[in-house]
Amino acid sequence: MRYPHGRIGLGTVAAASALLLTAACGGNTASDTGSDSKGPILVGSILDATGPLNVIGKPNIDATNLAIKDINAHGGVLGRQLKLISYDSQSDNAKYTQYANKLTLENKVSVVMGGITSASREAIRPIVDRSKTLYFYNNLYEGGVCDKNVFNTGPVPSQQLAPLIPYATKNFGKKIYIVAADYNFGHISADWAKKYAKQAGAEVVGTDFIPLESSDFGAVINNLQAAKPDVVVSLLVGGNHTAFYRQFASTGLNKTMKIVSTTFGDGSEHIVLAPKESEGVTVAFPYFQELKTSENAAFVRTWHAAYGQSYPYVPNSAVTVWNGWHLWAAAVKKAGSLDRDKVTAALESGLSIDSPSGKVTMNPGSHHVTQNVSIAEANDKHGFKVLTTNADVPPAYENSVCDLQKNPTTNKQFTP
Amino acid sequence: MTVQPDQLANLTLSLLSSVALLAIISLGLAVLFGMMGVINLAHGEFLMLGAFFTLTGVRHGLNLWVAMVLAALAVGAVGVVVERLLIQHLYGRMPATMLATWGLSLILVQVVVLIYGPASNGIPTPLGSIRIGDYSVSEYSLVLIGAAVLLLGLTYLVLTRTRYGTMARAAVMLPDMAAAVGVDVRRTNMLTFGFGSALAGAGGALLAPITAVVPSMGQTYVGRAFMTVVVGGPGVVAGTASAAGLLGGVNSLVSNLTTSVLGTAALLVVAIVILRFLPTGISGYWERKR
Amino acid sequence: MMSTNNRSLSGSVAPMWRRLRKHLPVEIPGAVTVTLAGAVLATTVAPFRALDWSLWVIYGLLALSFTFVWGRAGIFSFGQTAFFGIGAYAYGVLGIDLFPQTGETTTALAAAVVIAAVVAATLGYFIFYGNVGDVYVSIITLAFTLVLLTFMSSTADPSYHIGQALLGGYNGIVGVPPLMLPGGGQMVSPNGLLFTCIAVAAFVGFGIHLLLRRPFGRILAGLRENELRTELLGYDVRRYKLVAFTVGGAIAGLAGGLFAAWGTSINPSVFSLPQAALVPIWVLVGGRRSLLGAFVGVAIVQGVSDALGGGGGSATPIVLGTLLIAVVLLLPEGVLPTLSTFARRFLPALGRTSVDAGPAGRTDSPVGDSVIGGESRKATSITAVDVHKRFGGVAALAGASLEVAPNGVHCLIGPNGAGKSTFFNMLSGRYRPTSGTVLLGDEQITLRRPDERARRGIGIKLQVPSLYGELTAFENVWLAAYGAKRDIAEADVRAQGALAWLHLSEKAQQPAGELSHGERQWLEIGMVMASDPKVVLLDEPTAGMTREETMRVVELIHDLARTATVIVVEHDMEFVRQLGAPVTMFHEGRIFTSGSIEQLRADERVLDIYLGRGTSHVGS
Repeated sequence: MRYPHGRIGLGTVAAASALLLTAACGGNTASDTGSDSKGPILVGSILDATGPLNVIGKPNIDATNLAIKDINAHGGVLGRQLKLISYDSQSDNAKYTQYANKLTLENKVSVVMGGITSASREAIRPIVDRSKTLYFYNNLYEGGVCDKNVFNTGPVPSQQLAPLIPYATKNFGKKIYIVAADYNFGHISADWAKKYAKQAGAEVVGTDFIPLESSDFGAVINNLQAAKPDVVVSLLVGGNHTAFYRQFASTGLNKTMKIVSTTFGDGSEHIVLAPKESEGVTVAFPYFQELKTSENAAFVRTWHAAYGQSYPYVPNSAVTVWNGWHLWAAAVKKAGSLDRDKVTAALESGLSIDSPSGKVTMNPGSHHVTQNVSIAEANDKHGFKVLTTNADVPPAYENSVCDLQKNPTTNKQFTP
Repeated sequence: MTVQPDQLANLTLSLLSSVALLAIISLGLAVLFGMMGVINLAHGEFLMLGAFFTLTGVRHGLNLWVAMVLAALAVGAVGVVVERLLIQHLYGRMPATMLATWGLSLILVQVVVLIYGPASNGIPTPLGSIRIGDYSVSEYSLVLIGAAVLLLGLTYLVLTRTRYGTMARAAVMLPDMAAAVGVDVRRTNMLTFGFGSALAGAGGALLAPITAVVPSMGQTYVGRAFMTVVVGGPGVVAGTASAAGLLGGVNSLVSNLTTSVLGTAALLVVAIVILRFLPTGISGYWERKR
Repeated sequence: MMSTNNRSLSGSVAPMWRRLRKHLPVEIPGAVTVTLAGAVLATTVAPFRALDWSLWVIYGLLALSFTFVWGRAGIFSFGQTAFFGIGAYAYGVLGIDLFPQTGETTTALAAAVVIAAVVAATLGYFIFYGNVGDVYVSIITLAFTLVLLTFMSSTADPSYHIGQALLGGYNGIVGVPPLMLPGGGQMVSPNGLLFTCIAVAAFVGFGIHLLLRRPFGRILAGLRENELRTELLGYDVRRYKLVAFTVGGAIAGLAGGLFAAWGTSINPSVFSLPQAALVPIWVLVGGRRSLLGAFVGVAIVQGVSDALGGGGGSATPIVLGTLLIAVVLLLPEGVLPTLSTFARRFLPALGRTSVDAGPAGRTDSPVGDSVIGGESRKATSITAVDVHKRFGGVAALAGASLEVAPNGVHCLIGPNGAGKSTFFNMLSGRYRPTSGTVLLGDEQITLRRPDERARRGIGIKLQVPSLYGELTAFENVWLAAYGAKRDIAEADVRAQGALAWLHLSEKAQQPAGELSHGERQWLEIGMVMASDPKVVLLDEPTAGMTREETMRVVELIHDLARTATVIVVEHDMEFVRQLGAPVTMFHEGRIFTSGSIEQLRADERVLDIYLGRGTSHVGS
């Protein structure tokens, strides 16, 4: 065989010199790093600004920027302004890991907030845990995370479904059919729905799980027509699943069956659908743009001032993100320090803030928040009509299984 | 388990509309890929544009059906522009086309996000629903079935009965020969690409009233469309119809009898098995048998 | 072979060094050099950068697997991310389950590679032994990847677990251990991880390079360039594709295991379409065939998208998309090949190393009984008995029988559509008869594939020149010789001998596609001869040749007949007359008559058929 020394030599030299050159020039320059004790405090955010998840990502990012601005306008924290370093993870899970590495090892931020899907949270968690950086996950999810380093402000099934299922059973009927997204959130939420249904004396006549990439609900619609439930509990997620509501309405089923959901609206479903398709869908969230509190009036004004009057809708996730930042800021103030353990202790001391959705309290043991949960109905103006508000709904399940004050080394996600 | 007649009728219609949908979203790609050999990874985005253009038309007060037709033509125009600027330099270079159309898809999605926002008001399903015994079926699903037949028939007529169609097929099969007999190959290819794009736009327009029109909607359909076209084989109309029938039918049947997850898996598995035993697709196999 | 010009060092070092240099593959010092450079980088870099670049090296390995499978073997597999994901999940599961016992996770990593390879081998067997080709392979592998996506996403229930590891559905596996080397018990630091990744990538990359320098690499190039020709030279292409696919799967699995260790988490999004599409994009940007280009492509694409994520805002996809289109239009070969073409123009010394073309022209007195030198096998007879072939409704052959004795020469003639080409294909194995038998000597070969027939000594030259256009003339003939002899040294000798006999030695290093039409015809004949056939089938060997060249072919066939049996399909009657061999004429799928060309010339019915006059029927 011929030994092409020339070619191998060239390749080796090229590769080796590329590595050495990089080592010589670029390896060590760091950008914004750490927070010395006088300058601005560095905080980090990772959210999806682009890619399919930007439906939720964009309002989350808008809320993040507004929250930081708000905190800074009120003097910042410990007399110092906050400087936000935010990354767009482009709906790519590996990027969550990458940017988490960056924020914790390069920028050395005091807190990381972000993640939309549970998968992205699980990508961030090991990184922040290892580098001992505080992490807030501010989106609605299936519940059960128990990690000393992690705080959650999003609503969980035991908060949303607990008031919603009895309401549905009382007002719409006792036969329930569950349609859920076929992944962790969908399955766990469905389990909760079944539990609360049984408690309320309702009967679950069927359950369907739909893959996240599917937008064809023909089979589901057929099953619903065969089973004839009074209530359809929708735990569907994402742009593809929005088609369900459209196809449901097109067969006229919305006249005989009522849809209740703990996810409808968070992904701008009521924006994408026409009013007559979403009218009547009943949901339960901590926050609605239509909530009549003075705190909320000011908040919506600020929001529109920053982002324009024609902003489609301020979703619940925007406010849970807002809550996350404000809770952290309050905790730092209370602790008088940025030190993670001191801030954690402050957060675990029964901290409350006044949020546009009402009072929000961090639970010391479970690291989840107690918050108001309102039940509302989609109206004909791409918005919601608030029907009733349950004050201070605790994350009952999380409180029952997770006590990070007693067992600080717990690190898992509980499932019912 | 006894099947009631109304249940059977409902299932049948359900199956047919699933098949129709698959045919509609794949037909444009069958022209671009099956016939011209262009791997258009931006096909999903052409569908998406068709849906968004329909939305815009309706918002400006146009009748829905008129908006759909105009949307299809608009996407055809976009296709012509894309062909002139990009594709015409890349014929015969499959990997280059792949790379370029993938880049194009990224651009198209983001441009739509910037113009329309990540969530914008859609259009509801038109027409009403009809009752079949215990079941009700949306009239639009019947429209879909009709539309699929219409589009397949239209494509067949254009490709076989018009002068353009003959030239198009010649230009694709033997460009040098076609040029030698006076066919303007460049212009014909441009028109063919535009035709395929318009069909894709029509598919998207028909999708708009039954799905959530968001900028990322193309991704859901592009995988299935490619699978349908490849399983269908080289025949544009015969291939699309047969593959949509088989894959769509299996998917719908399995989803109705078991779960949606198994329905999706069944579609993929059937595609794999068909390609293993009929390596040139269904219509390719028919060609050989003849 | 290569001439070493060592300055003689004192004592025993020189001969030892010479022996080492002769046997040590040159890739090893290459890999070591790159690893050392990587060590320098890994120790000087900041930890977060080390993690970032570890990911690029890992992605680079994934891209490398695709470069190997597609750029080198011509298999467009959309399934590399499938094996990547399988490797990642395997590492996750085994890491969680085995770590308590072993205190390290390299076993899990090794197992991940094996598991990915096994899955690849199984899928590959299914695909390649079913003769699926090209685009269809890409769809099948894509479908496979999406099936994995669907299934792994629905494993959310806690009952989906392997040992202690919960599969976790869409959230993925939580608690994947980081990379831990044996004897440490400590997790590898970010800088250590970068070093490990670079070292692994270097050795895998150079390992692939070494593999490609062996005959396997040339065969892979052949099957990529011209699969049919490769089959006809006696290579079981299905097996080579399977091996290449499995190796590609193993590398992707290795990358996947490292990926899971890097992120300490793994979820089903690795099986998604955007992830699957990224792999060809990396490779196309870097350079489709270039091993180093795989890493360069990753660095460029990921570098841009990572940087944009830090501040591109909503323009990120537009910038990325525009970049990709720009690469396609401006750098069609990819970044690295364009750069190296550029470099070569300014530094010609970096060009293709000129390699010995072998001893200068031996033309007239070959050693051994073969025309081109070397020993040769004995000729055998070839027989067809009552062969029928139907295509759908058409009977292309309706019962043809022929026997040609060893060292015989026989011509097949007949008007177009008479069935002689179909008959030829029955002998070559391209088609199987609907009924009837074909014998090589005493052995039944009716159902044998073309590559099996080639291995048994049937050499074939097709009507349309079928060469490896991008390989050199030498490589073309070499592949033919190796296909028959399976010995590197002997193949070298035969290839040189064939080129010399063809008077093409000076053009040995030219790509075959650059030769003239006539030279290409001769090269193909040379390939047939280099494969030491017992039976030679020539389909219109003089097509497009001049009078002088045709005469040479007559001589050639007589020479060939010394060691082989020759069957020639021809239209050129003058050639047939010059050849002076027995002639068989086909008509309407049957053998019409046989005899010498003079006898057929005198037969009115033959003239009728050829001139298309009257209605002569077969079998009179």
